[in-house]
Amino acid sequence: MKNILKATIISSGLLFAASCTNLDEDLQGSVTQPFTVDIPQTSFEGGGPGPADALSAAFGKLRDAGSANHGGYWSVQSVSSDEMAVTQKGGDWYDGGIWIDMHRHTYGPSSGPVNDTWNGQYSAIAVCNDLLATNLDANQESQIRVLRALFYYRLLDVYGRVKVVTAAGQNPAQSTRAQVFAFVESELLGALGVAAVTPSMDLSTSPLGTGKNSYRVNQFAALGLLAQLYLNAEVYTGTARYAEAANAASYVIDQGGYILCDDASCIAPNPGKRPAVDSDPENLTGYATVFAPHNQNNPEIIWSVAYDGVSAGGMNFNMMTLHYASQFTWNFSDQPWNGYSVLEDFYNSYESGDARKAINFLEGPQLDYNGSAIIDYAATDGNLEISYVPPINELEPNANRVGGVRLNKFSYRLFGRPEMDNDMPLVRLGEMYLIRAEGLARAAGDWSLAIPDVNTIRARANVSGMSTMTADSFFDERGREMFMESTRRQDLIRFGKYDDPWWEKTNSDPYRSVFPIPQPQIDASSGTLTQNPGY
Amino acid sequence: MKITLLRSLLVIGAFLCFGSTQAQEVSGSVRDANGPLPGASVVVKGTTNGTQTDFDGLFALNNVADDATLVISYIGYKTVEVAVAGKTTIDVTLEEDAEALQEVVVTGYGSQAKKEITSSITKVGEEEFNKGVVNTAANLLQGKVAGLTIYNKGGNPNVDPVVRLRGISTVGANSSPLVVIDGVVGASLNNVDPNDIESITVLKDGSAAAIYGTRGSSGVILVTTKSGKVGAVKVEYNGQLAVSSRAHLLPVMSADEFVAAGGVDLGSKTDWLDEVTINGSSKINNVAVSGGDGNSTYRVSGNFREEQGILYNSGFKQYNTRANVSTRTFNDKLRIDFDASYTKRNSNFSFNEGLRYGLLYNPTAPIYAVDSPFPFDGASYGGYFETLGLFDSFNPVSIVKQSTNLGTRDEFVYSANFNYDILDNWDVNVLFSQQTSKSNAKGYSPTTALYLGNATSPIRKGLAQLYSEERNFKLFEAYTTYNTNFAQRVNLSVTAGYSWQQQNQFNYFLSAGGFPNNALQYVNALQWSSDLDNAGFANYNSNEWPDDRIIAYFARASATFDDAIFFNASVRREGSSRFGVDNKWGTFPAVGVGADLNHYLKLTNVDLLKVRLGYGVTGALPPTFSLSQNQYVDNGSRLAAVPAFQANPDLKWEEKAETNFGIEFASGRLNATLDLYTRNVRDFILATTIENLQGFDSQYQNAGRMQTNGMELAVNYDVIKRDKISYNTGINFSTYSTVLKEFTTPQQVIADLGSPGQNSTAMIRVAVGEKIGQIWGPVFTGEVVDGSQVLADVNGDGVLNTGQDQALAEDGDFADLGSGIPDFELGWTNQLSIGKFDVNAFFRGAFGHSLINTFRAFYEPRVGSQGSYNFVNTKYANPEITNAQYSSLYVEKADFFRLDNLSIGYTFDIKENKYIKGVRLTASGQNLFTITSYTGADPEPQLVDIGETGIGAFGALGSNPLAPGIDRRNNYFAARTFTLGLNLNF
Repeated sequence: MKNILKATIISSGLLFAASCTNLDEDLQGSVTQPFTVDIPQTSFEGGGPGPADALSAAFGKLRDAGSANHGGYWSVQSVSSDEMAVTQKGGDWYDGGIWIDMHRHTYGPSSGPVNDTWNGQYSAIAVCNDLLATNLDANQESQIRVLRALFYYRLLDVYGRVKVVTAAGQNPAQSTRAQVFAFVESELLGALGVAAVTPSMDLSTSPLGTGKNSYRVNQFAALGLLAQLYLNAEVYTGTARYAEAANAASYVIDQGGYILCDDASCIAPNPGKRPAVDSDPENLTGYATVFAPHNQNNPEIIWSVAYDGVSAGGMNFNMMTLHYASQFTWNFSDQPWNGYSVLEDFYNSYESGDARKAINFLEGPQLDYNGSAIIDYAATDGNLEISYVPPINELEPNANRVGGVRLNKFSYRLFGRPEMDNDMPLVRLGEMYLIRAEGLARAAGDWSLAIPDVNTIRARANVSGMSTMTADSFFDERGREMFMESTRRQDLIRFGKYDDPWWEKTNSDPYRSVFPIPQPQIDASSGTLTQNPGY
Repeated sequence: MKITLLRSLLVIGAFLCFGSTQAQEVSGSVRDANGPLPGASVVVKGTTNGTQTDFDGLFALNNVADDATLVISYIGYKTVEVAVAGKTTIDVTLEEDAEALQEVVVTGYGSQAKKEITSSITKVGEEEFNKGVVNTAANLLQGKVAGLTIYNKGGNPNVDPVVRLRGISTVGANSSPLVVIDGVVGASLNNVDPNDIESITVLKDGSAAAIYGTRGSSGVILVTTKSGKVGAVKVEYNGQLAVSSRAHLLPVMSADEFVAAGGVDLGSKTDWLDEVTINGSSKINNVAVSGGDGNSTYRVSGNFREEQGILYNSGFKQYNTRANVSTRTFNDKLRIDFDASYTKRNSNFSFNEGLRYGLLYNPTAPIYAVDSPFPFDGASYGGYFETLGLFDSFNPVSIVKQSTNLGTRDEFVYSANFNYDILDNWDVNVLFSQQTSKSNAKGYSPTTALYLGNATSPIRKGLAQLYSEERNFKLFEAYTTYNTNFAQRVNLSVTAGYSWQQQNQFNYFLSAGGFPNNALQYVNALQWSSDLDNAGFANYNSNEWPDDRIIAYFARASATFDDAIFFNASVRREGSSRFGVDNKWGTFPAVGVGADLNHYLKLTNVDLLKVRLGYGVTGALPPTFSLSQNQYVDNGSRLAAVPAFQANPDLKWEEKAETNFGIEFASGRLNATLDLYTRNVRDFILATTIENLQGFDSQYQNAGRMQTNGMELAVNYDVIKRDKISYNTGINFSTYSTVLKEFTTPQQVIADLGSPGQNSTAMIRVAVGEKIGQIWGPVFTGEVVDGSQVLADVNGDGVLNTGQDQALAEDGDFADLGSGIPDFELGWTNQLSIGKFDVNAFFRGAFGHSLINTFRAFYEPRVGSQGSYNFVNTKYANPEITNAQYSSLYVEKADFFRLDNLSIGYTFDIKENKYIKGVRLTASGQNLFTITSYTGADPEPQLVDIGETGIGAFGALGSNPLAPGIDRRNNYFAARTFTLGLNLNF
């Protein structure tokens, strides 16, 4: 007992001595030793959010409207097409089956992305409407009308029958698809100041200008959008407008002064160049520069969505498609999600030597920043080095984690953030050639008329010209050129292929070519919105 | 007021520092009609000189002046004053005070004799409180009040329990009951130490709570703190030492099992949970000094708590002090009560992710980099091993040992209450109170931390996060009460008053990363952040509330006829700054009647037979301010403001109308209370999907109506009641169910399961005509084909539609998989005393509820690519399932019955001496055993959804009451605690 007491006294004495005599000064907020560290400095060259003018609130909405991120307009357009899929990788990416349903065309009215696409467009339209109620000059007003028309064009394309709200407080009746088409067309023509698109039209009195600023709308942007609209008019209304599509595209090609980027005309430093990896080119050229980081001044782009890693977030392809460990290739600030893969058949539609194949896709063994192989410690097949391979074993439930080549067209920069620096073209010269080609061919019922423009595009991709042309070969060419630019679903529908079977998808019913009106919107509409047929 | 306060303080000071000097001893005895009264107070009037009678009713007082007057008092007896007049022996016989003997219950703005109450009110006294380590006042009551549900799932010491009265009363702001501490409305339970509480009264139904209007919709908890008693200085000490350990864990695989199951073998054997948990120890010390003279009483306490959680580095240290001073002046007509309390808590939150990854990190992975099976740059990761390149995979030991997550909370409240008796039957009461609380959180993950610290990044390593919040609450209330009786048989009491409440808040959040090295915890030196050069990374926001105000007028009348028929009515007219101009005010009436039937029936062997019926309307506020104004936010570029929030200028009060019928019965050793109620919540306020025509997809609306029917029964029985041995047992039982009656949409699914792989996976259905808390999903048939669960064709149409976009479709194959809300809950109290020993055993259970075991949903399937996570390995584990899909397989019945608390106390027989008056020792155990089939860490119901916080979410968790029943991966793990306690009275 005495010993215990003694021990207690001594030990508490020691404790006391230690704690109550300590006068060390332990600085918490000051560095007390000199140091230097070598950390790469990043610079931010994504082009910013666009001009800081009265219109920026509305143009900024292009980013919020799901133009290049996961879960909205871009995802719905792309995953429902034969370009790509979001496969279920065992424990990852099942997500309630919504992406499997999207791929197999078994989507329903409660699909989250279908509702998010709707909300994205209408939220943007409301900002346009608010802006149009303010004192804008004629040019500004026309730009916003074109911008609003773009959002309605998307609604027309995805849902068909929507309400056309043109001012705050309105709750108009649900329009037919033809009525929405007519509205979009008249808005665009009105902004251009012409009654119709003809080869001889005079745009000199148009409130829209001709100056080049890809973050705002000029005559060529409006015409480009009109060309896209007319190209799909037959799908929307049953009435073909191919000649006008060709006219609009032709005007842009001839009068716009834009350049089809080839290896000679467009050269830019490669922001993804790893110093230690010799196979990374110092410079990007041609087609690659149109979509690469810092593409804001690219001469092929007529109208684009401004993205910037710092001040204009909303493009997340790096996160969406790359394997977790691909973080180390570019030393991204964040770990990617390993979601989207390219379908093997689509990848194989490119001939070897097509410059676009190497640009659009990421294939093969992956090296880290220092040039060493990247390891996947969870690989169960003993093959630890990450290498993206074209085939995918299955859509679900246990898709290979490195199955399918990855999206690479909007290429990646070193030290990138989840928000990318690449701008997303809405209208670019390359597509204008394809619209003119298809418009002329369809208007005349003669696909050979498409050959010259198609060969212009092919020449830029370093592949030989075509001497014969069919609808199918045109379709394939358009696919190769327009990959990731959210037109594939439209193309499949226009060429009558949307209902066809493809990898992990059977025949689907024709009604599926318009999406269901989102159930939450119907529920909240007090009966003023009705569902599309079939759903 | 200042002078009075000063005087009160001086009284205390004098009391503590000096004694009296006169030298005359007076002794004597105090008795009542039946014999000696031990513990009666004897005080020299106008002084602090006093004592208490001993076990034989005897007392002796020194230093009594010849001309002094002795004040002799005892609870329940009329106080007597006796002039000393030179006598040295004084014997007094006290008379019972019939009125005082009636149990008095604190109600809103006053108190009433218990029998006059016509609403559902339960009072819990100190002797009935839960024992052991109780860190928050709410836990004193857990299981003690039928209908009051208190859960702290997992028992994280830094998280306040969820408190719900009669289930879901609102989906909006105040889903927790209103707390009133010593008359201060809206007080914080965090600012009162459980040891300072004398009793807690719970106002359960609408007719009781309506006098509190808005804030009473979810019930009211009235806390009465201990106050000083007239008499000599009393010093009380309570000390507790406790040890907690992991109680129950979700089973996962050992390293060998994992490898055998096909997991990737990284060459080591690590029990990660052992590495991130500890046996937590807790120390609690409370000292209270109290006393008083004829005019003033005081009580001052200091409470010190040091609590360690079972998660490494989690816990808190808290210091609390409270002073209650009461004095009478102006011929005893004015009573002034001044209360002040201050609490300072330093918390170490640690990271619940430590537990999460402790469960699921590869059991063959080494802790340290040196043991890595392949070349690994350990220096970049603080010497810890990491599985780089995997999704959502972090070394848990590195998380809890490298990163810090600290917080402080300061709460200060004071109140001054002035009560003036204008006449004997008419008084005026004025209360002013102010409450300030500040909390700060400070997190830092060093440049070598993979988790949050982003150690793999070459450009931005390390992360510092700061959050600060200051809240102010001011309260002014004045009311007057007038009592009268006429015709001998009618007593009438009328109260009318005014209430003004204002709160505001300022908060800010900062986060920055990109620190040069590990020379410092750079959260203390943010200027080193490279985010200052790399625009867009640093995150900062701040927000100041507008003055958020409630103003109310209220009145109440209570009448008693024949001392047997009771009538109460009240009305409150209340306005809030949160509503639009036209809808700011609401009126909340209540009425109740009760009858003491036995007064007329005169049944033999029946001591009490009372019935009562009450109806009351209370209101609820929207969850936040400014809902009546449109709001715009930055569009990301700092260049343009875009719509974020659609105003609803028509938003009006949510109203809850409740009818309660109760029977109270007592006969000999048995007493019982039965309550039946139905409540209708109309116009409940919820962010609701609207058709997107104006750029908004949601808006706060008066979105629907829900109805709750419930029953509560409390029975108490003195099984043995003898001199040396007594045994009392009591059961309380409650059940309720809430049905959604009207809603803006016929049905919707909510509550996302989360990442990886199960985003967009809603687990709860909210549908008109159905119960709240319906777990919804596909049904597993029990069959597995090709690694996938075969799901049931629920509607039998031959087509299997189990994708989430068909969750509500007619041809969807989804079903009701269980209820997140229990069918009934049970508390069973046992109190046994044998001589100097006393034993308390408290059992608690909840039955009929289910929980979605999300750990299983993610980590039980033997997903090949998951071969680097550990596999959850419960009795349900099916090795054939190789991919993850949410289904009925992961919804488990979570009925449980638990020995919540067992405590044994021994009161020492202390010979009369100068120093110590009483010694008591207790030993108790909490959460000793649980009977349940639930495989997760804790089967307690999860009443609100805390949400799927992303990796490293900083700050508050969610609390969605429409989605109960989800056991999320960020829940803490339950602990078992053993406590030794010592109580000393001086």
